Amino acid sequence: MASLAASSISFQPPHALATSRVSGLKLVSFMNQGRNSLSFGLRPMPARVRISCAAKPETVDKVCEIVRKQLAVPSDKPVTGESKFAELGADSLDTVEIVMGLEEEFGITVEEDNAQSIATVLDAAELIDKLCSGKSA
Amino acid sequence: MNIRCFQRNFSAALPPLVPLQLPSPMETHLWYIMPDEVKNSALLNQYSELLSSCERESVSRMSGDQLKKRALLARALVRTTIARYQTNCQMNPRSLRFRKNLYGKPEVEWRNEDNFSPPPLHFNISHTSTMIACGVTVNVPIGIDIEEKQRRTKNNIIAFAQRYFSPYEVKVLTAISDPEVQRQEFIKLWTLKEAYVKALGKGFSAVPFKTFTIRFRDTTMRNFHPPGSSVSEESDIVVESSEDPTNPANNWQCALLEVAGSHYGAICMEKDRIAGENAPMKLTVWKTVPFVEDVCVSGTDAVLVLGGIIEQ
Repeated sequence: MASLAASSISFQPPHALATSRVSGLKLVSFMNQGRNSLSFGLRPMPARVRISCAAKPETVDKVCEIVRKQLAVPSDKPVTGESKFAELGADSLDTVEIVMGLEEEFGITVEEDNAQSIATVLDAAELIDKLCSGKSA
Repeated sequence: MNIRCFQRNFSAALPPLVPLQLPSPMETHLWYIMPDEVKNSALLNQYSELLSSCERESVSRMSGDQLKKRALLARALVRTTIARYQTNCQMNPRSLRFRKNLYGKPEVEWRNEDNFSPPPLHFNISHTSTMIACGVTVNVPIGIDIEEKQRRTKNNIIAFAQRYFSPYEVKVLTAISDPEVQRQEFIKLWTLKEAYVKALGKGFSAVPFKTFTIRFRDTTMRNFHPPGSSVSEESDIVVESSEDPTNPANNWQCALLEVAGSHYGAICMEKDRIAGENAPMKLTVWKTVPFVEDVCVSGTDAVLVLGGIIEQ
C-alpha cells in the first residue's frame, strides 16, 4: 500500500542518512546541519547519461506517464526517474491509484510491503521490472 | 518551577500563541488551516523561520509554489499546535524536535532534561490542496485523514474497492446505485480506513486495507444525554479485523466529520481504558491561522458529525 509519508509530512532529523539510488549506485548524501555535502544526488540527470540504469528506460518512461496523468502534473514540470511522488504532490490515495495503474499496465500485483517502499518513479520502475522478469522466468 | 523555560518572546514580530490546556482522555483537539486564506508573504516567511533547516530543505524540494506553501504550512501547523500545550512553561515552536517511529510515523522527540516531564501528547496530520489538519490527543495514539468532498478517483470506484477494500465494503459500495452517492461513500470509507491505519502507526503493510472492515452500526444503546448537550449519536463506526471477525477492534474509536463544508475528515483514536467502553469521543475543533487568529468552530456548521458518538 501507499507510503504513509504521502499524507503526513515526512522529513528527516538533521543527522539522518538520505540514500538515493541512481544508476545502480547507492549515493549517500550526508545531511550535515541540513546541508548536503554531495549535491549531485538531488539534481535530475538526463536519461541518456544513465547507461547502467537498474530499470529499463521504457519502464521508467511509462511510469512517468502514469504518474504525470494521475497527479495532473503540468507539462512544463519535469517528471523523471528521480521524481519523488510526495514532492509532486501525491497523497496516499494518489499513490495507491498510481500503484493500481501500474498493476493494470504491466499485469503485475504489488504487495503492500513493496508498495510501501516506493517513493520515486525509479523505485516503481525497478519493482515493475523485477516483478515482470520474475513472471517470465 | 522549571528554570530551563524557553524564552517567552522568541520572535519580537509575532504575538505569543494562545496557551491551551491539554486535551482530556477521550478527547481530540483538531486544528485546521485553509492555505488559500494565508497570503501574507511576511507571515509565511515567519512560519519558515519556525522550521528546522532540514524541514526548510524538504519544503524547497516540493515541485511548484503551491506545494511548497502547503508543505510549509503543514510544518508550521504541527509546530505551533504542539507548542500551544504548555506544561511547565511556554514552548518555542522552533525548538521542537521530531522523529519517526520504527514504521515511519512522525512523533515529537521530547528532550530528556531534569525536571521536565514531557506531556503525553500524540498528534497526526493530513492535508489536501485546500486544507491542512492536525489532530492532538493525550495518552493514546491518533490517526486522521481528510479528503476533499469533490475528490474524484482516476480508477473506477468498484474496481478500486475490489482491489483494496474488504468484501463487505465492496458489497456496501456496489449496492449504491447513484454514482455520486457511491463516490461520496467511497471517499468517506477511504478516510476512515486511512485514519485507522495511521492511528495504528505501523504502516500499511502491517495492516493492509483488505484485512479490516469499517462499517456503520445504528446505536442500540442510547445513553441519556441531558438537554442542551451536544452529543451526536447518528451511528457508531465499528472496525472489524478480518482475521478475527468475532472480536471487533473494540479499543479503537472512530469519528467521521464534514469539515468547513468542503472536506470529509476521519479521526481514529485508541480508547482510554479508564474513560469507559461507551464514553463518547469529545471533540474540539479550531480553524487557525497561527499567530493571527484561532476560531473555535465546534458545534457550528463548520463541523458536522456524519458518524461516531461524538460530543462537541
